[in-house]
Amino acid sequence: MKLVPIYAIAGALTLATMLPQQAAADDLVVGAAISLTGGLAYADVPAQKGMQLAIDEINAAGGIGGKYKIDLRLKDSRSDPAQTSIAAQELIDDGASVLVTPCDADPSIGAGQMAQSAGVAAFSTCASSPNLPLAVGDHMFTNFPGDNVQATVSAKYAIDSGYKNAYILISPDTSYTQLPNYFKTVFETLGGKVVGEDNFSIGQQDFSAQVTKIKSLEPAADVIMTAAYEPDFPAFIKQLRAAGITAPVIGSDGIDSPTTFALGDVAEGVVFSTAGFAAPGSPLEAFNAKYKAANGENPDTIFSAIGYDLIKVLEAAVLKADSVDREAIWQAVRELENVQGATSTITYKGTNGVPLRQVSLIKVVKGDRELVLQEAPDAALIPAPSL
Amino acid sequence: MSLLEVDGLAVSYGPIKAVRDVSLVVEAGEIVTVLGANGAGKSTSLQAIIGLLPAQQGRVRFDGHDVTGESPERIVRRGMTLTPEGRRIFAPLTVEENLRIGAATQVRRGNTAELWDQMMELFPILASRRRQLAGTLSGGEQQQLAIARSLMSRPRLLLLDEPSLGLAPIVVELIFDLIGRLRDLGITILLVEQNVHQALDIADRGYVVSGGTVVLEGTAEALKASADVQKAYLGQA
Amino acid sequence: MEIFVQQCVNALSLGGTYALLALGLAVVFSVLGMINFAHGEILTITGYTVFFSLMLAVPAVLIIPLALIVAMLAAAAMERVAFRPLRGAGPTSLLITSFAVSGILQVLFQNLISARPRPVPIPDFLTGAFTVGPFHIGVIQSLSILATLAMVGLLTLFLKRTLLGMAIRAAAVDFPTTRLMGIRANRVILAAFAISGLLAGVSGLLWIAQRGSVDPLMGFLPVLKAFIAAILGGIGNLTGAVIGGFFLGAIEIGLQAALPEPVQPFRDAIALTLVVVVLLYRPQGLFGAVHSVRP
Repeated sequence: MKLVPIYAIAGALTLATMLPQQAAADDLVVGAAISLTGGLAYADVPAQKGMQLAIDEINAAGGIGGKYKIDLRLKDSRSDPAQTSIAAQELIDDGASVLVTPCDADPSIGAGQMAQSAGVAAFSTCASSPNLPLAVGDHMFTNFPGDNVQATVSAKYAIDSGYKNAYILISPDTSYTQLPNYFKTVFETLGGKVVGEDNFSIGQQDFSAQVTKIKSLEPAADVIMTAAYEPDFPAFIKQLRAAGITAPVIGSDGIDSPTTFALGDVAEGVVFSTAGFAAPGSPLEAFNAKYKAANGENPDTIFSAIGYDLIKVLEAAVLKADSVDREAIWQAVRELENVQGATSTITYKGTNGVPLRQVSLIKVVKGDRELVLQEAPDAALIPAPSL
Repeated sequence: MSLLEVDGLAVSYGPIKAVRDVSLVVEAGEIVTVLGANGAGKSTSLQAIIGLLPAQQGRVRFDGHDVTGESPERIVRRGMTLTPEGRRIFAPLTVEENLRIGAATQVRRGNTAELWDQMMELFPILASRRRQLAGTLSGGEQQQLAIARSLMSRPRLLLLDEPSLGLAPIVVELIFDLIGRLRDLGITILLVEQNVHQALDIADRGYVVSGGTVVLEGTAEALKASADVQKAYLGQA
Repeated sequence: MEIFVQQCVNALSLGGTYALLALGLAVVFSVLGMINFAHGEILTITGYTVFFSLMLAVPAVLIIPLALIVAMLAAAAMERVAFRPLRGAGPTSLLITSFAVSGILQVLFQNLISARPRPVPIPDFLTGAFTVGPFHIGVIQSLSILATLAMVGLLTLFLKRTLLGMAIRAAAVDFPTTRLMGIRANRVILAAFAISGLLAGVSGLLWIAQRGSVDPLMGFLPVLKAFIAAILGGIGNLTGAVIGGFFLGAIEIGLQAALPEPVQPFRDAIALTLVVVVLLYRPQGLFGAVHSVRP
């Protein structure tokens, strides 16, 4: 192992934060208080790579509208809410016009509140909790199909597929892993029945007790829904299949990861909701190609494309405002409609901060992805965010 | 050249000076005893000589080598070992295991079987307790095991720290008898003892330590005759 | 009844994994009086070894021995680089150092390998199950029970039959006196670390077979569970660590199976409360540690 790169990274980061930064008056200063290390790095690092790709592209073309270059200032929030708030405050004091916060709601709330009181628009890289803007205020925006929206699409799909009795597996540890509660609401509204539900702890890896319970359900579940992700989801599905339970499983975007596709037979037929699908000729396919050209490998998560989307949203807002003023940008974001991102079109107009985006349902087939459907669900079906 | 030469040894526990200035010499074939009250610095000196405690000042030479600052395992491999105060046998291990660990330095030389027979002869009680856990032995048996364990490393110089402590008089006899037999086997002994009478009976020479300093030295006869020793340790006016 | 037996198998399998982990912590603790919180990172290193071996198309038969050897070397290197320079320092310094080692390794994994989990494809036969009467027993479940038994058996043999093993047991009771036997302190400590590395390697393989991926932070939770199991069993006591592991597995599975759904979210809290109750009555753990003298 060579130690040079880590020193280089550390050195570069230190320099970047220590040198006085003089932005040209017309630069769009984007302050990113996101997690380059710690438990959220798995999401924020890929998102940051996608952001960088969009920024390089825009700056190479002369800036937004040929006018406003993007100046990204990164501070590692180390997956720690307190550090995130400190970093956010520093970035705001430093003149950021827009703030980017981590992929999780908890650190984003603290940082978002700083942005809220400074009148700066804040975007979480990829948090999907529909509560986040409610918890912070009108300056907080998310950048991902909300949990309730994803669950609506999967519940409707389950009913349309003829499933009647569902089992849901929830972890109370995070709001994201309680997504199946939204699924339950929609599934029951549409006439299905939840015949069993269980809890797990994130990282527990042992699902033998739950699996034994599922086996003994009466009536048996004909569909299983969970928002568990790594390492829990792979462990769960292996133990589930090993116990001879063949009921189909529906997951959510947390399992949109190479691990799921490397699981082999046990993952065959798993369906999950996520932010996009790289159909031939789609913007996502184009993004993946650009990413590969820049980084030498395919993105291993949708979060990179989501990071790219975030910058595209900012680009659209600055174009609309024709300004890099905080207030003007914030006003413009609230009016954005059908911004073309890599994963979907994105609309903030008329929302409370959770954008209207399409949800893709993807099925794992022979270790590859197959699109089941792509849609924005009927707004009347979407359950209200639960606090 | 003497087998062991200790010169100006000083040892501290943090700010407390336990040994201030101890110098002593042990010639090959001798039994030398170190006398002194509790806390005089006798045990501390032995532990510093064997390398368990760092010497703050002074030198320790064994068999012509300066061993000051060497690790105990290295010093033991040179042929000097310590049977510590309180026996310190490995209680959850069997008698046999205790002895096999004692012979750790001899395994490569392949003479553990011979050593084993020798120990069984010297300590017949251990032969019958072979598979027993060492912690279940009586005090006297444990002391015999501790000495036997030290002998398994074939020492030329054995440091014995209070071997008779807490033992019944009849067992004390046995232990001193044993020390005599060790001398006959050619093992040199440096003996720290509270049991001044018996120690001086068996020893050739002795040192008296007080307050971390050697205050008196001489042949066993001379020490027995010394008024100071008689007053302090032999309970005679 | 069938469910009960099935849950017992579940408890044995989970408990076995905990037992292996706790045993690894206990071996080092017994000799050095230190909980090595970087033990979990050995699991991670084992996982990355498997990941890179698969990537480099190392023949399948070699991967497991290779991963175990790397795990042992990693543990030994940890001792040599991080802990040996602190020999003689107090337990608190060692504990903090082990946290630092753990943190540094995590950041290195994140920066030099990937912040994302890396998939480790597991052969399908390992994810299967076989049927005994009415019971479904997972292959990985049985493997973890078998591996626990095998490792406990091998370790027992090693500790009872070899000189180095006896020296480790002796050092656990009284380190300075062990040195008086001419036994090199560094060798005993290194051996204890290598054994803990081997145990972590085996648990790492089982852990990864279950999760199918390796992640920079994956070591934290297992080491925490192992710590609880080791405390429960009586820290530093090897038999205690194994029993503590099985006990913890039984508590977790038992609560998962028996608690009504509304109370389920409090499962971990209840499990830890039970552990605390045990410790209230037996502060020294189920098998109180032998009083020992450290280096």
